[in-house]
Amino acid sequence: MPDNGWQVGIDIGGTFTDLVALLPATGEFRSIKVPTERNDPVASIKAALAAAGLKASEVDDLIHGTTLVTNAIVEDRVEPVALVATRGFEDVLEIGRAGRQHLYRLDLPPRRTSQVPAERRIGLAERVDHAGHAVLVPDAAAIAEVVRLAKASGVESVAVSLLHSYANPGHERAVGAALKAVIPFVSLSHEVNPETREFERTATTVLNASVMPIAARYLDQLQREVASTRLHVMHSAGGMASPEVAARRPLSMALSGPAAGISAAAHVAASLGLKKALSFDMGGTTTDVCLIVNGAAEISTDSKLAGRPVRQPMVAVESIGAGGGSLVTLGTGGLSIGPESAGAEPGPAAYGRGGTRPTVTDANAVLGYLDTTRRLGGAITLDVAAAETSLAPLARQLGIGVVELALGIQRVANATMVRALARVTVERGVDGRQCTLLAFGGAGPMHAARLAREFGIGEIVVPRFSSGFSALGCIVADMSYTQQQAVRMLSPQWDAGRFTVLHDSMLAALMEPLHAQGHRSEAIAIERTALVRYVGQSYAVEVPFAAPLDLERLGRDFRQRHREIYGYATEEHWEMQSLRMRALVARKPEFAELAGPGAMPSPTSVGPCWFEPAAPHQTPRYDRDLLPVGVRLAGPAVVEDAWSTVIVPPGYVLGADAMGHLWIKEG
Amino acid sequence: MKNSVDPFTVEVIRHALTAAAEEMSFVVMRSARSPLLREAGDLSSAITDHKGDLIAQGRDIPIHLGVMSFTVKKFLERVPAERMQPGDVWFLNLPEVGGNHLPDVKAIRPIFLEGRLFAFAVSLAHWGDIGGAWAGSYFAAATETWQEGVRIPPLRLVTADGIDEEKRDFLLANLRGPAEREGDLLAQVASTRAAEARLVRLCEEHGAATIRAALDRLDDLSEAQMREAIAGLPDGIYEGEDFLDDDGPGGKPAAIRVRIEIAGDRASFDFSDTDDAVAGPLNTTPFVAMAAVYYAIKAVAGPEIQPNGGCYRALKVRTRPGSILEPGIDKPVVGGNHETSQRAVDAIMKAFEQAVPERLTAGGSTTAGLLIFGGKRRDGATGTFYETHGGGEGARADRDGLPVVRVHLTNTMNTPAEIVEAEYMIRVDEQRLRAGSGGAGRHRGGEGMVRTYTVLGDGLSLTTMFERRVVAPYGLQGGEDGAPFRVTLHRAGTSRELSGKENLALAVGDRVVMETSGGGGYGKA
Repeated sequence: MPDNGWQVGIDIGGTFTDLVALLPATGEFRSIKVPTERNDPVASIKAALAAAGLKASEVDDLIHGTTLVTNAIVEDRVEPVALVATRGFEDVLEIGRAGRQHLYRLDLPPRRTSQVPAERRIGLAERVDHAGHAVLVPDAAAIAEVVRLAKASGVESVAVSLLHSYANPGHERAVGAALKAVIPFVSLSHEVNPETREFERTATTVLNASVMPIAARYLDQLQREVASTRLHVMHSAGGMASPEVAARRPLSMALSGPAAGISAAAHVAASLGLKKALSFDMGGTTTDVCLIVNGAAEISTDSKLAGRPVRQPMVAVESIGAGGGSLVTLGTGGLSIGPESAGAEPGPAAYGRGGTRPTVTDANAVLGYLDTTRRLGGAITLDVAAAETSLAPLARQLGIGVVELALGIQRVANATMVRALARVTVERGVDGRQCTLLAFGGAGPMHAARLAREFGIGEIVVPRFSSGFSALGCIVADMSYTQQQAVRMLSPQWDAGRFTVLHDSMLAALMEPLHAQGHRSEAIAIERTALVRYVGQSYAVEVPFAAPLDLERLGRDFRQRHREIYGYATEEHWEMQSLRMRALVARKPEFAELAGPGAMPSPTSVGPCWFEPAAPHQTPRYDRDLLPVGVRLAGPAVVEDAWSTVIVPPGYVLGADAMGHLWIKEG
Repeated sequence: MKNSVDPFTVEVIRHALTAAAEEMSFVVMRSARSPLLREAGDLSSAITDHKGDLIAQGRDIPIHLGVMSFTVKKFLERVPAERMQPGDVWFLNLPEVGGNHLPDVKAIRPIFLEGRLFAFAVSLAHWGDIGGAWAGSYFAAATETWQEGVRIPPLRLVTADGIDEEKRDFLLANLRGPAEREGDLLAQVASTRAAEARLVRLCEEHGAATIRAALDRLDDLSEAQMREAIAGLPDGIYEGEDFLDDDGPGGKPAAIRVRIEIAGDRASFDFSDTDDAVAGPLNTTPFVAMAAVYYAIKAVAGPEIQPNGGCYRALKVRTRPGSILEPGIDKPVVGGNHETSQRAVDAIMKAFEQAVPERLTAGGSTTAGLLIFGGKRRDGATGTFYETHGGGEGARADRDGLPVVRVHLTNTMNTPAEIVEAEYMIRVDEQRLRAGSGGAGRHRGGEGMVRTYTVLGDGLSLTTMFERRVVAPYGLQGGEDGAPFRVTLHRAGTSRELSGKENLALAVGDRVVMETSGGGGYGKA
């Protein structure tokens, strides 16, 4: 394959489409932002390429993160699905786990309703037991009837989820083969999520089935339109996948967008040699945080999206409904931020487009952090007076000044984010205070310093390309595939033969798409993670291991991790619940270093900004692109690029390195 | 000094404390051993101040959350603060020590900040067995508390030096499935340790005085909100009653009666007219009655009010000594915790039907719907499979009830069929909606569920503990009742409907068919 053209990463967001392109041979790069074409991602991609002056023929690889699947799920615009289940268990989605989401709210339905209505639930008389023995084999007539009913239901996509199929997929395969002859899209639970617990597996499989037609149509169109380049999509575990694999398993793209940003964060953390980092991506309506250990994002396989379980390997991102556009309200329990947002229209009051309710961004405007003379991306003019007016009623209610309120809003916003940071670190047994904070997204660099102090973090990096970071994540991502499979083997009764068979067949399945793309086995790295628990526990601890498996060592590593996370460990037997493997082809894009030390530019302006404790400081503003390598800038200072603002409060020092990253520390 | 702290610091501290309580539950759920905790989540976490007033709670189970403050207060009456040391973890389960029933074991860790006792972290977990006459510790024929299991007065099981192995071994020697229990116990200790770490960190940041000032302010805020919420209810006296299926084996329904008085921003709940204590384990404690009131007033008037000590200052609750809700310490109470408590809530809801029907849901499957299979697990160890079964939610003025969900005071989850079959000598033959079980009405009640178990191994026992078999979930405003609960045992070609309180031996091939109740309808159809 020719490898002398451009590597292009594109992230299609709700408002803007970002592009970052790199020519590896020379280290030349381009980055650009264009408005997203509503409901036409392919047009957005073409517009971004054109704006960057790139022709499809000059591009080797085009990698993109897409919110297509995410939005379809969150906005409930998925396709109808029929479900084939073991007879007697057709209502598995309706029953779920029987819990409710709100303890005290009688006005809200206790949980989301089933995705498959009763008339499209099809029972099959069959049974496999927990050990994989076929107890009742479905006969041909029963399978034919299932196919007839599925066809008659009129849907394009069918999910099959039979009891204990993770232990023996035979029955699912037989039904799947018969269905595929007459139904365009079929999802089998043992392929989508070969793990135990029927509700979660079935829900995941049905969700996959319901986005399959959407993903297939889109990927097909995209491939036709950019035919001359190799196309890849970001998957939720922070790697890139071929369109063929993505079309078969579209649910693997459920977190494609956030995963791209986290992929970039992982790349930066690895290149800087950071042992533990927290990515902090604060946007308009949400904030995503993720733990990155030794340059790799933590992965979760037990998440939810829009209230539905999604058991797929995904970056372990914690998303909270608070961002720059989140509304500030004084209600029950005190001051709260979000989850309601001013949205893109009208947006915060400070954007001068008719917003009147106070947001986090309005507080920042009142504090002087946003430059009134600049236009955000040339699209928005700031109106500080409107921001003040929006905050005034709340300030009156609390009997304090507008500035004091604005500082308070910052603190409360940071407190909600601190909870998210705590969650992603606590669940992994990591002391968050030892992490470096990687701040990006529109509002991340503005809040980073205060947030870091609140959480006890001493070091912040605002990486290069921080406002087009997800697009960067696309071109630095490894080509990777991840699979997880139930094992359920006890340490004293280890069946090495069975383990090897399982391991090798998973490995072959993971390597297949990489081989198909022309990668040789030597270039493919394999990462293995055992999910281990004590007998009787439900939740496993992740323990990485190398082949060949050393049982003794695995047990030792497990006990150590258990102690780190839960504070105790015993010498009891353990069980390997599942095996997760990741096959990857590493890509090491090199960006050219920036020119060496230069002259310190003069500030673009100087004006008052407020910080805690409330007092105005005359604060200089600098253009980020003009800051020389090696600069040391003492706060208070504001550093801006076209898209985002970095706040350096008093008592902090900002530095810039040769890679274009900004470092902020307490000085 | 009171209220000198700014409102933003208050909010920061509130977030941190709630996060600490939620982390406690996370630790128990992830590291415990019995399915009851790790699958069903029958556990709760709270942090109280040094006097036992609630500071923060997890998103757990309302009945537990409601009693935990009383647990600490009564614990303090038994164990003066001077006896507590940093590093201690005290275990207890006595119903009379601010408790509910013996299987809910509380681990209490005193937390010291700046050298002084500041708070308690409380981890409550339902142990799958607490000893007594029958596997799973639900003895249907119990007439006294001593038949229901091991009674643990405040016991310092852990100190800064570690666990006291003699006390631990004494305790475990009295329980079925000691290995499972030990894992659960360690998980509880770990969870209180996590809370301690969070509080110590918070104190480093803000100092104990500021945290205390923030707590006072949160108390005042919640009190003001609760008073405002009560003031939003029409003044008046409202009476409601609901019935237990029976007042003992083969008996007649027993009444729980409440008289609510709303006067301005105050509310009182008087349960004095409730029937006398019953013969079996359906009695409960005044603390449980109070937890039921706390739940109900929040659900009806102020669901988003931060629960803390201040939240309940405007409420008065009265129970009568000798009644089902204050039976005396010798009476058995194991089922009362999740059955009679729900009757108290239903009585309150029926009373409020006269005042604010549009805010309520009709009667739901307000019973644990409990089956306990005792005996050997597949791996040969002794274990109990304790399963609660959800049913239909009652309809509301503006929507139908949902099928198969936990209603009001409980929020445990089901155990997946694949987990049941992998761990126990039981097959789950089916699990489907119980068609037509929801009550008709302008809005329909939610459907119940059918789950059928087949016994595959020898030596298993079964316990039932459920209500709504005789007294069906009620409709509101003319809506029809939901279908009542029904459990049927099929054995060798014969079948028998089981009562709601039974202990029996099972045989290979037995089939137990569980049909859970539907929700009541709302409004005339």
